[in-house]
Amino acid sequence: MDRREFFEAAGILLGGTACAYGLPLVAVSQLTAGTAEEESAAGGRRWGMVIDLRSCRLNCQACTEACRRENNAALHGDPRWDVHLIRKVQVRRKGAADAALKPLLLLCNQCDRPPCVQACPVQATFQRPDGIVLVDQHRCIGCRYCMIACPYNARHYNYKENPEWPNKDQPRSVHGVPQSCTLCVHRLDQGRKPACVEACERVGAKALAVGDLNDPQSEVSRLIATHPVRVIREDLGTKPKVYYIGL
Amino acid sequence: MEYRFETIEGRSPGFYGLLAVLVLLILPGVVSTYLMYRHGIYLSGMTNRVPWGLQIIMAVYYIGLSAGSLVISSLYGIFGRAEYKPFARIAAYLALLLLIGALLSILTDLGRLGNLQSSFSHFNFLSMLSINPFLYNMYIVICAVYLWAMLKEHDLWVRRLALVAVLWAILVHSGTGAIFGFVPRELYQSPLLPPSFIAAALSSGTALMILVILALFRLTGRALDDLLVIKLGGLLGVFVIVVMYFLFVENAYRLYMAESREAGYFFLFGGINAVLFWGGLIGLGSIVPAVLLFHPQTGRSIRWIVVASALVVAGVLCERYLIVIPGETHPPELFRDWEIIRSPWQEGVVHYVISYHEVFQAIGVAALVAFLFILGLKWMPLAPTEARVSPRPAELGEGSPDGAPAA
Repeated sequence: MDRREFFEAAGILLGGTACAYGLPLVAVSQLTAGTAEEESAAGGRRWGMVIDLRSCRLNCQACTEACRRENNAALHGDPRWDVHLIRKVQVRRKGAADAALKPLLLLCNQCDRPPCVQACPVQATFQRPDGIVLVDQHRCIGCRYCMIACPYNARHYNYKENPEWPNKDQPRSVHGVPQSCTLCVHRLDQGRKPACVEACERVGAKALAVGDLNDPQSEVSRLIATHPVRVIREDLGTKPKVYYIGL
Repeated sequence: MEYRFETIEGRSPGFYGLLAVLVLLILPGVVSTYLMYRHGIYLSGMTNRVPWGLQIIMAVYYIGLSAGSLVISSLYGIFGRAEYKPFARIAAYLALLLLIGALLSILTDLGRLGNLQSSFSHFNFLSMLSINPFLYNMYIVICAVYLWAMLKEHDLWVRRLALVAVLWAILVHSGTGAIFGFVPRELYQSPLLPPSFIAAALSSGTALMILVILALFRLTGRALDDLLVIKLGGLLGVFVIVVMYFLFVENAYRLYMAESREAGYFFLFGGINAVLFWGGLIGLGSIVPAVLLFHPQTGRSIRWIVVASALVVAGVLCERYLIVIPGETHPPELFRDWEIIRSPWQEGVVHYVISYHEVFQAIGVAALVAFLFILGLKWMPLAPTEARVSPRPAELGEGSPDGAPAA
């Protein structure tokens, strides 16, 4: 092999490596950059939620029950298959066995970089430009990879048909597809508040607020600006948009 | 030396009896799958905390087994090891069928099979579960064409396609490892999973090939040179060691890093995980077979090689369970400083209890793969008339160099 042949071979090898190895990596890095992040940075709406745990009551279930009625989430009476779009848990500081229990609400974090959207093999889980993560039940194949990918266990699956259908304006929960909090997108789009927020106001707790994070005048933006807030598992880089006061 | 391939006769009562038994094993799986399709997959043991169960374990297992088969097949095609040519066709056919078994396991696990067309119309280039079915389907096509080239004796194409198939198999198995490795879940997330998946695939697949080859040759009364099986056994021993190395690195990392130490303990010492890891995977599935295969006496005994192969096949099934289940039953740590005391849901460590419907499905898929394998032997000239490294004893006028000829 003379020098020219050597350089030709080296060129082919380098080019081939770039195509076979580099291009997929570049493509992945480009595709994973959150589109919703960019769009919302461009000035659109970006929905988020603030939960003020100081006002949340330990044994109140107003929000969870309102959510269940509004979104037809199934309650079979078996924790293995019950669907909780928002669930109330009672927590205690680690290592403090006699400390008082505190209430905490867990729900879909509407991540800016949602692992479930990355994972969905059929684009049934998608993110709207305003940041809300939804499931298209007519496209979902029911593989449950989104539930595997969600680090918050926020996706719950309809293992059984829901025998009840309280809110006829919303689709019935059929078996074989997952559900998670939609921030009551159907209400937001009509200019109404989500069912949980309404219920919380009705009982006078006012622990929940949903609004536009891009609008500095919105209630959520003001709460975040004036209070120390935390999100769950910030270390994962999923950029959740459910903020907690008093966590 | 030249090999002739032929179809098996397939007319004996034993042959039809075997097929009938396999059909009987398939039927309950069909019924269970229909019931789940109709009423929901709550009939399985899966829950909201354990959304992936036995069918995913089996799918991953089949994909791995398929790789090993293909590598045996390619030993002839790529490396020109003519002594393995007798196994090349059977191995390629089995690789193809195992991949079909994997796809069937995934399909029967879907909750909304009716929406399946969306996996073609709405491909997600970022989803490992989108990329992999594409890799699997292409792999089936490549295996089929490769098998066709062998049946038609296009030797040049056999060599080319063997290379393509092996390279594609690396993609398939790396991709399958990435399904688990590339998600933010404590016991899943790991860049080591794709390569360690390949290692376990090679060991389990080689072990299965040894069992299948021996069963086929013995049951149909074909001559098989012991030395071939002994060589495959040596190969298997190396693969087993590589798997153990990967397992060691992965778990040492988990225990070493403060953030994953608790999860690492759960994986290694938590209830059923400990039994399957230390007893199934490490003890019976790796150390015992490795000792058997490398020991100068047992390593040259067909009987012990069969025992070692069966142990590896079972051990890697434990490994697949340990890939899928502990990452689900282990709870994610949502808060650094709070623990959840009460919840309407399952928050802590949960247990996965396999239901009989899932077992029926798994048995059904396995029986279908076996059924198609046996039918293929009858319809296609896959089985060699004999497999020998050395010339026939008759030509030399003495016994084969490895002692008694195989029965």
